[in-house]
Amino acid sequence: MALVSGKRTIAGMPDSGIANVFAAVGNQPMAKVLLIEDDGETAEEITAELADRGFEVEWSANGIEGLDKARSSRPDAMIVDRLLPGMDGLTVIEALRKEQVRTPVLVLSALGAVDDRVRGLRMGGDDYLTKPFAVVELVARIEALLRRPAESRETTLRVGPLELDLIERTAKRGDRVIDLLPREFRLLEYMMQRSDQLLTRAMLLEEVWNYKFVPATNLVDVHMGRLRHKVDGPDEVPMIHNVRGAGFILRAGP
Amino acid sequence: MSAVPGSFFARGRDLRMAPAEKRRGWRQAEIPDDDHPMRQPLFIRSNTFHWAVMVAGVFAVFVIVLFGFIYWKIDDYLTARSDRVITVELDSVAGLSPERRLEAIDEKLRQDPRGVQLAAIFAADGHRITGNLDSLPLHLRIGAAAQGTDIIRTDGNSRNHQVIRAIARRMPNGDVLVLGRNVDEAGEISHVVGQALALGLLPGFCLCLLAGAWLSVRAQKRVEEVNVRVQRIIAGDLRERLPHRNVDEPFSKLAVIVNGMLDEMETMIHALAGVGNDIAHDLRTPLTRARLALERGRTNAATLEQLQAVADKAIAGIDQSLTIITALLRLAEIENSRRSAGFGDVALHEMLREVCDIYEPIAENKNIALHVQVTHRLSVRGDRDLLIEAVANLVDNAIKFTPEGGKVDIELLRGERETVVRVTDTGCGISEQERDAVLRRFYRSDKIRNTAGVGLGLNLVAAIVKLHGFRLAIFSGPGCRVEIVCPDPQGSMPSSRSLISSSTRV
Repeated sequence: MALVSGKRTIAGMPDSGIANVFAAVGNQPMAKVLLIEDDGETAEEITAELADRGFEVEWSANGIEGLDKARSSRPDAMIVDRLLPGMDGLTVIEALRKEQVRTPVLVLSALGAVDDRVRGLRMGGDDYLTKPFAVVELVARIEALLRRPAESRETTLRVGPLELDLIERTAKRGDRVIDLLPREFRLLEYMMQRSDQLLTRAMLLEEVWNYKFVPATNLVDVHMGRLRHKVDGPDEVPMIHNVRGAGFILRAGP
Repeated sequence: MSAVPGSFFARGRDLRMAPAEKRRGWRQAEIPDDDHPMRQPLFIRSNTFHWAVMVAGVFAVFVIVLFGFIYWKIDDYLTARSDRVITVELDSVAGLSPERRLEAIDEKLRQDPRGVQLAAIFAADGHRITGNLDSLPLHLRIGAAAQGTDIIRTDGNSRNHQVIRAIARRMPNGDVLVLGRNVDEAGEISHVVGQALALGLLPGFCLCLLAGAWLSVRAQKRVEEVNVRVQRIIAGDLRERLPHRNVDEPFSKLAVIVNGMLDEMETMIHALAGVGNDIAHDLRTPLTRARLALERGRTNAATLEQLQAVADKAIAGIDQSLTIITALLRLAEIENSRRSAGFGDVALHEMLREVCDIYEPIAENKNIALHVQVTHRLSVRGDRDLLIEAVANLVDNAIKFTPEGGKVDIELLRGERETVVRVTDTGCGISEQERDAVLRRFYRSDKIRNTAGVGLGLNLVAAIVKLHGFRLAIFSGPGCRVEIVCPDPQGSMPSSRSLISSSTRV
C-alpha cells in the first residue's frame, strides 16, 4: 500500500511487475478518465500516474466545472472526490445519474466512515476508495471499472487452458481436472471474469468474501496460495501471478 | 429580575469565547453591565434576594388586608351594638310621661362623664327643650332606625362637631326625642389596629428582607467558592472537587453529582493521555524504521535493486503506521456511531460458518484444528459487516495466539435469555490480571510481544459489541475463552427456528 506520493519511482522502472500489469490497456483505444479532485498535488500525482498507464486524464478542481466536463466530454470513467468546493462529489454523481449518464464512478474520500461509504455507493458511485490509498489500488480499481464483465449468459469461463463450468461447478486445466472447494471456486470464478487485470487484496476481500475491512492476517495470500497450488501444476506455466506489494493477476500467458 | 442570571450566562459565553479572560473568572460579572447603571451590592442583584423581596411584599399585602378586614368587622359590630343600646333606651324613655322624660334625660347626661351619650328633646317648632344637642340634626330622619349623623354639642366648653349614631322619634305631644351615642371608639380601635400593624408588619418585612439578603449572600458565597474551584479545574488541576456539606441540601447534592462527573472525566482524560502516549510510541516505531532505512539507503545504496529494497522497507514502515491510524479511526468511528437504523437480522449460524470457512486454510497452515459447532439457527439484530468483523477478529486472535497443534472452537449457544458466540482456543490464555488490560488500546501481553499485530483487535471487538448492546466476556483457564453475549431484545422471541443439532467439521 504505497502512498500516492510514493509511486513515481516504481512507474519509471521497466522491469517492475506493477508497471507491466496495466500494459493490456495500451493495446486498446485510450480510455478517457475524468478526475474531479480539489487538492492540486494529489490530482497531479493521480494524473501523472494514470497517464503513465496509458489513460487520457482530464482534471477539474471543483464540482460544478467537473459536472460540466462530465456532460461535455463523456469520459469512460470518473474519479470523484467526496468533498469538493462548489458542489459536493456525491451531488455531482447524483446529478449525472439523474441524466441517465451511466459512466462508472470511483468515489474518493478522506472520510473512512462505513456509513459514508454506503452512502457514496447508494448515490450512484460504483466503487469507493478511502484516502490515503495506494496508487496501485486506485489504478486497479479504475481498470476494474472500465472492464467490468458484461452480463453474460455464458455458462463456461475460459482463460487460456483454464476452463470453469459454472453449472457443473467443475474446473479443468487442459485435460487435468482441478478439484476445488466452494470458496476456491468462487475465487477462481471472480479472477477468470477479470483475467489480465490486477486484483488487489482489498478488492478480493470486498468482492469474493464480502469483507468490508482488512483483517489482521494475510487471509487473501493464504487462500490464493492454495488456489495457485491447484491451478498451476509443478511443470505448468504459472497463470496466477503475485504482483509484489499490489495484488494478484490471472493471465493465460507467462 | 432576570438580568442577574442573564448576565451570568452571558458571562459564561464570554468565558468560552475569550480564553484570555478565563483566569479572571466571573468575578468580573459583578461589574455593572450597561443595563445596571448604578452599582448595587451583589446580593441585592441576586435572584434569591429578589424572591425574598417579592415574598415580603406579598406577605405585607396579605397582612394589611387581614387587618383591614378585622377593623371593618369590629367597627361594624360596635356600631350595631350602640344602635341596639340607643334603640332600647329610646323605647324606655319614650314610654315615660313628658316630665319624667326630661328627668330621665338629665339623669342620663349626668351619669356620663366620658361624654359618650347624646340626648335631647326638641319642641315641635324645633327649639331645644333639654339635652346636649344644639339643634335637631338636619339630616336625621324622624321615626327611622339608628343612623349616622352630624351634630353640634352644647355641653363642654366649646360647641363641637361630632359624627354620632342617633335616633329621633316624635312623641305623642309633638316633641321630638333624640338619643345618640358617640362612636369614636371605632376610631380608637382603628388606631390600635394600625399600631399593631406597624408593630407586626414592619419587623416582619424587615425580617424577610434580611433573610433574603442572608440567603442571597450565602448562595453567592457558595457560587463564588465553586467558581474558585472550577477556575482551578479549568487551569488544569483535574483533582479539584466542588465542596459539599450534607447530602440533603440541594446545592450539596448538585456538587456531589458534578463531582461524580468530574471523577469520570478525570479517569477518561487519564486514559486518553495514556492512549496518546501509546499511539505516539506505536506510530514512532515503524516510522523510525522507515527513516533509518531511507537514511542508510541514501548513502549506501549503489544499485537500483538496493534502492528498491530500501524503498520497499520504508513503504512497509509507513504502511504499518497507516494501518494503526486506520484502525484507530475505525475504532473511533464505531465507538461514536449511534447507528442502529442499518440493523437487520443477522443469521449467526451462517455467519460463523463463513468465518470458519475463511480462516480454515490459515488454521490448517498452522496445524490448528478449527471447528465450528452450531446447534441452533440463531439470528440477532445487528450490522452483519460489523459482526463478522468482530467474530473474525476473535478467530484471528485465537489462531494467532494458539501454538501449532492446538485447537480453536467456534460455538453458537443458546442461553436462558441470550445467544452466545463463543471462541475457545488452547493458546497462552489471558490471565486474571490482564483481563481488563487486554481491552485497553495497544495492550499487548508480554507473552505475545513477538507476534505481529497492532494491538487494537479486541478494542474493535469490544466497540462493535457495545454498539450492538451485547456483552464481551473473557475467561481464562487453560487457553482462552471469549464470548459475545447477545441478550434477547425485550419483548421479542429469539428466532430459534429449529434444533438442527449438527456439529460441523470444516
